[in-house]
Order: sequence, then structure tokens, then C-alpha cells
Amino acid sequence: MRTFVLRRLLQLVPLLLAVAVLTFVLLKLAPGDYLTALADNPQVSAATLDTMRHRFGLDQPWTVQLLLYLKNVVLHLDFGESFSRHQPVFAVLREGLLNTLLLAMAGAVVTWGLAIPLGAWAAARQGTAVDRTLSLVAFIGLSVPEVLSGLLLLMLAANTGWFPVGGMRSLDWESLPLAGRALDVLRHLLLPALVVGLVPLASRMRQMRANLLDVLRLEYITTARAKGLDERTVVMKHALRNALNPLITLFGYTLGSLLSGSLVAEIIFSWPGLGRVTYEAILSRDQYLVVGAVLMAAVVLVLGNLVADLLLAAADPRIRHE
Amino acid sequence: MDRRNAILTGLATLLVLGGLVRAPCAQPLRTPMREPGVPGGRFVIGVTNDARTLNPIMSNETSSSEMSDLLFTALTEFDNIAQKPYPVLARSWEVSPDGLTWTWHLRRGARFSDGHPITAEDVLFSFAVAYDSTLHQSIYDLLTPHGQKMQVSAPDSYTVVTRIARPHALLVEAVGSLRILPRHVLERAWRAGRFASSYGVSTPPESLVTSGPWRLRQFVPREKTVLTGNPHWFGVDARGRRLPYLDEVVFVVVPDQNTATLKFQAGELDGIDNVKAEDYGTFARNQASGGYTLHDLGAALTSNFLWFNLNTVKQPGGRKPLGAPYADSVEYGWFSSRDFRRALSMAIDRDAIIRSIYFGEGVRNWSLMTPGYRTFFTPRTTVPDYDPAAARRLLARAGYRDRDGDGVIEDANGRPVRFTLKTNAGSTRVQMANFVRDDLARVGIQCTVAAVDFNTLLKNMREDFDYDAILAGLGAAVPPDPGMCGNFYRSSGLSHFWNTRQTRPETPEEARLDALFGELLRPGTLAARQRLSAQLDEIVDDQCWVIWLPTMKIKLPVRNRFGNAHPTILPQRLLWNIETVFVKPQGRR
Repeated sequence: MRTFVLRRLLQLVPLLLAVAVLTFVLLKLAPGDYLTALADNPQVSAATLDTMRHRFGLDQPWTVQLLLYLKNVVLHLDFGESFSRHQPVFAVLREGLLNTLLLAMAGAVVTWGLAIPLGAWAAARQGTAVDRTLSLVAFIGLSVPEVLSGLLLLMLAANTGWFPVGGMRSLDWESLPLAGRALDVLRHLLLPALVVGLVPLASRMRQMRANLLDVLRLEYITTARAKGLDERTVVMKHALRNALNPLITLFGYTLGSLLSGSLVAEIIFSWPGLGRVTYEAILSRDQYLVVGAVLMAAVVLVLGNLVADLLLAAADPRIRHE
Repeated sequence: MDRRNAILTGLATLLVLGGLVRAPCAQPLRTPMREPGVPGGRFVIGVTNDARTLNPIMSNETSSSEMSDLLFTALTEFDNIAQKPYPVLARSWEVSPDGLTWTWHLRRGARFSDGHPITAEDVLFSFAVAYDSTLHQSIYDLLTPHGQKMQVSAPDSYTVVTRIARPHALLVEAVGSLRILPRHVLERAWRAGRFASSYGVSTPPESLVTSGPWRLRQFVPREKTVLTGNPHWFGVDARGRRLPYLDEVVFVVVPDQNTATLKFQAGELDGIDNVKAEDYGTFARNQASGGYTLHDLGAALTSNFLWFNLNTVKQPGGRKPLGAPYADSVEYGWFSSRDFRRALSMAIDRDAIIRSIYFGEGVRNWSLMTPGYRTFFTPRTTVPDYDPAAARRLLARAGYRDRDGDGVIEDANGRPVRFTLKTNAGSTRVQMANFVRDDLARVGIQCTVAAVDFNTLLKNMREDFDYDAILAGLGAAVPPDPGMCGNFYRSSGLSHFWNTRQTRPETPEEARLDALFGELLRPGTLAARQRLSAQLDEIVDDQCWVIWLPTMKIKLPVRNRFGNAHPTILPQRLLWNIETVFVKPQGRR
């Protein structure tokens, strides 16, 4: 088990290098650089732009820029500086990371907290009105774009005053007692988490329903029923656990997309997360910031999959990682 | 103690006290305002982005510079209502008869937020940093009139002398663009080569020493920035009470405009710096119930226009020979005809664009100096405005006719007039381009709209010149003076879009533009400079090098409980006088 984990972590190194190179090349293939946007300012002369381009090293061929970058990363673990903020890349990214994780985790709680019981319920009542209503609701949730559901929820918040209109904290958050602070963040978290969580709900719910139906058709369930166990015990105790296995793999993917899944919600709800930093960095061609953000997402993706593998091993004694 | 001694002691005390009062010779700034206010309260403004740096020399975009402009003072500031500079840290100034030597008298008793006096040393230091060639400052061009650095010296602690080689009309504005930094805090970092990362957003608020009315209380990335009054700021009101009045100005980051609107309607914001034209109606309707006023600021400072690619090859070694046009030779033939360009301008129904894209909240505009530039806007009479019949006549006279009856006109050589109009995707300009396409179709011209990524568009217009026509625009000139638009008017300019960076003017009209612009930069009376500005625009309009399109009107909501709050069209719309804004006593919560 330990060697398995170690091997997976070692695989990260070449993977991250490849990701860095690929991101860099893609950025360079796209037209323009960080200073192109500044050239749109009618007050900046061509000569000043040339000087600035030289200072940023953007006048060098991109291959030279890439090699310099890789050299700094490998030799000094220096991931460069953000052009716009004059700060090391990870100092910029660190700020948003926790906020994004918080939102994404809350979204995952919404997704899985609803998907498992509702999926199981639909499977147990297969073909009934309950089953059909649940799938209808789930698919409506799937087809409404996040932008729309987000804005509708914000309109609700603005008109009723039940929830704050976006943001992560109240203005006077610092003056609240500890419990008040947690409650305040929770109040702000609820609506965006709902928006983030509702998107994958339909597919997870259907997955759960299908898995449970598969299991319910197995012979040991027939045995259990023949034994005279009541349906509730059959489903809850005997079928549910086995039906969850494939979902654990899916949960690993959810972990992997933690950093990227909530961009739209972050923008609409003014959530101070990583998605917005990355998005703005791409738009403004803040190149080292973009590469840093992609690297971070890659690390989280690999770790997420690793966690999923470990969870699977823990849940299913038949699986052992050598 | 006998009586005489008591009197003597009393006299001595009086003398000492009087001396103490007079010794620092404080010269506070009497800040102009409509009504005196009362201290306290907070103003919450919604902004789309937070600052990337609080270092005024290193900022490259408005979200950073608008913040650092509040934190750091300058020799002069801009009065957004009168649209002219007024003295701030410089109490007064004079200029030598030849217009080359400017002497600035600094206010005595001015202090940084840590209590350290602001002297000529700090001004010299700020100039030195702004002129440091190892940094990358975007204000460099503004501070180098006629392309040359000023010579700056300080004969004493409260006098600064700047010398320039040739007289310049915008020298006061240029000097005013330099924010004053604390030498005693930053000099060491500068000498050690760490200036660029100094005063970044992660600087602890207490170590960010400011010279302006405000200092930093808290910066929470992508959430909010809180400014609080600088207790040592030298601005006072008419009663001598220190400014700013407000305890706090809070910038709340709201990236999405719809969310900002909802947040304002819910009462979480006191003002927003950006509202979509389609929302003006909603905002206007709810004014009474929401306790706010939607201020009509008039036409925006941004202009929209389209132009044709008349660029020629300026550097040898490319695929095309030196001097050859980048555009296809047939298209270049059409585009270089003044009549062709004028006919196209007359084919465009600008009122329809205003109605549909700006919901009626726009104006027709014929210059970079939109009606928003109060000092330099000149109403125009002879403009190639909408007149489709005249457009058709003009085209027919120039030999463009629909010879094969397919609805598309052909030139004298029988080639159908077709071209592509590029603009940046994801903006209202795409809708505008679609209107242009439909209007041109009505006079028989087939125009295809291509919406491309903004950076691609910039590359096309500045580097590879791979386009037929582009619909774009220019942002606000700061300070609001045509003298700031040299890149557009001058034939050598980067934003002389239709044929950029000419080594020498390629047409007599462009030579005339260069000459007029040179005169505009020379100091002169306002009337003379206004005339020059109008003359420049007459040439551009007469040649129709750019086809002007409408510009939108700006309206911003501000809560009524704030006194002295009157937003203006110039940058810092809501914040330009925020140090005088106060909460009206009946509006306190």
C-alpha cells in the first residue's frame, strides 16, 4: 500500500512538468501577451511598451522563456511572479485556494447528500410516480444553466432579505464572535453551494438508482427476501452498501474537479475563489500565474484520484493496491 | 509669588503658546466642496475588480490606480467638475517667461500617515522612481513631455523646480499625475531593487505609509478593501475641520454586473461604478423606494468607431515589399477612396443603433472628444451622418453599381464590394457591427462580421494588419485633453489605426494633423487650443479615416443619505471627491 501511494506521488513529477510545458505552449500559441492589453491604452507609446516587454522578458523567443522558467522551477522551485501583482505566483493562488475548496466541498455535500438517498428512494420505488417525479426534477436541475439558477437565487435573496446577495462574509465579519463568524460564512455559503451542487446531482442520482437496481436483481437479495426480511432492511442493510462502490470512484473524480467546477458560481456570487484568479490571469495573459494555477489543479486532480483509489480499497475488500 | 511675577509668567506662557502655534506654519488645503459635513460613517462601493497593487508607480490598470490615487497625493489634482487641475500638495506654482522652468511651492505642515513631514525630498524621490529605467511604469510617457525627462531639483525643503526643454501645454497635468511616495520608507527597498514588489496588496496596512487623504485599513483579496482616513492629511473644510469626513470607504468586489445591481437594490451597496444601459430603466423607477438618485453623467468618454486597413509595410524583410499595402490591392483601392469611406459613413443609421443597443441612452459622436469632455467637445455640423440616398449617389458617381442584379454593387472593374468587419467577441460592439452590416447591405455592400478574441484583434490592428476593417474604440484620455491623444492623431502614433506608425506622414492631410497636434502641445490660451482640437477633428472627419459610431450615456446610482456626493463623467466617477463626502445627520442609521 505504501509503495503504491509513493509510486503515484512520484508519477506526479513528470506529469507536472508535462502539464507546465503544455500550458506554456498553449499560452504562447494564443495571440498577444500581458502587454498587448496595455497597448490599448492611448497614452502608452510604442517605445515604452518595448522597454516594458524587455523588462518582463517577453521580447525573448518563447522557447527561451520556457527553458528559463523550467530551470527556475527545477533548480530553485521558483514558479515565477505574477506580472500584474508583482507577487510570487503561489502567494497569489494561496489566497483563493481555501475559499474554492470550501465552496466545492459544500457543493459536494449538497450533491452527495441528496443524490444517495434520493437515488435509493427512486430505485426502491422503481417505475412509480415518485421515481418519475424525482428524475424530472433532477433533469430540470441538470438543464438549467448555473448562470440562471444563480441569478434566480440571488434575486430571491435580494427580494426577501433571507440571504446576503453574494460575497463570502459580511462587512463587519471581523467584529463578530467566533460562532457568529462561522454562521455568517455558512449563510453566505448556502446559495452558491446549492448552485454548485445541483449541477451534477441528476447524473449522480441516476447512477445511484441504476447501481441499486443492479444490486437488487442479484441472487443474495432474493435470498434475503426469501428469508422473510422486510424490504427496508433488504435495501438499507444488504443492497445499499454494495451499490455504493462505483460511486466512490465517481467521488474521486469530484475531488479532482474541486478547483475548476465552481468558476461560474464564484463569479455570480462574488465568491473570492481561485477560479476567478485563474480566469482573469488567462484573460490578461499573466503567464506564470496561469501555469501555476493549472499545476495546482493537476496536483489536486491526481490527489483526488489517489484518495478515490484508497477509499475504494477500504470499502471493498476484494481490491488491494500492490 | 507677587503680582508682577504672575503677569510676567502669564506673558511668557502666551508668547510660548503663540510661538508654538505659529512655528510649523501649517498651510492646510481648503478643499472645495458644496456643503460642510460632519465626521463619521462609511461608504460602500461595488467594484468589478480589486487592486493588483497599491504602488501607484507600478499599477497598470484602473482598479489599481483608482485605489492608489486615493492613498497618495500629488502636487496637483484634477477637479472633475471644472475639468481642470487645482493645487494640492503644491500650494502654488509659477512658470518662467520662456515656459521652461516651473517652480512649485509645497504646502508646509503636510504629513504622511505616519506623521513624517512631506518635503521636496519626497517629491524628488518620487520623480527618481518614476524615471527609473529598470522598472516598468506606464506613467512614464505622461511624465516625459516631448519625450524627454524633466530636470527636477529642490532649492529648499519646500520648493521643487522642474525644467523642460520645450514648452508643453499639459505640464501641470503631467506633474500632477505623479503620486508622492514616502522616501523615508521606500528608499531602501528601491536601492535594493525591491521597489516593484513594495506596497503590494499583501503589505501590512500599518506599514503602508500614505500621503493622501486615506490609508489602508484592510485588504481581503477578491472580497473587499477598506480605507480609513489619514489622520495627518492636510485637507480641511471651510470651518477648518480635518478631512476626510467618513470613517471608512469600503470597496466590495462584485465581478458580475447583475449581482452588483441586485446587491445595490438590496441595500448592501451605497454606489456602483458601472451600470448597464439596459438597467437604467429599473434603477430610475426604484429611486424613491430605494432612497437613491440615478445621476445622469452624460456621454461616456469612450468612443466607438470603425476604420479600414490602409496600413502599408513599414519595415523591410516581410512577405510584402516596403510601402506595399497590407490589404488586398483591390480592397485597398476601395478603402483609400475618400468618397467610398464617406458613402459608407452616410449609410449607417446611428439612431437605430442608439435605440436598440443603448436602449435610447446614447448620443451620436464624431470625435475622440465626446460630449463628455466638457472643455474640448465641439458640436459638429458638417458630418457624414445617415443619408442613404446620398450614400447611394456618391457610390454611383464613383463607379460602384450593381451590374449583375445580385444586390451587391461592383466597382468599375466589375468586382463585387465585399469585406470583413472584425470586432471583439463578447461585447456590445458585436451587436453594433451587425447593425453596420445590415445598413451597408441596404446600399449594396456585403459586409461580414467576424467576432474575434480581444487579443487577436489587438494583434491584427497593431502587428500583423490582417484585416479589412475593424470596429473598436478608445477609452478615456486622462487628463481629459486632446493633447493626450497623440497616439491617435499623429501619423507616427500606435493608435493612428488606419495607417499606424508612419515614419513620415504619407498624406498631406496627415502632415497637417502632425503640425496641428504639435501646436496643440504648445502652451496657449484655452480658446486657441479648443480651436486646434476642432481643426484636428475636422480633418479626420473630412477624410473619414474613421467612421464614427454612437457612444453611450453613463448613469450611476448613489444613496441620497450622502452629502457632497456628485459623480462625474471623468475617471474616479464616484470617488474623485470622496474625502468631502459625508453621511447626512438625518441619514444616520
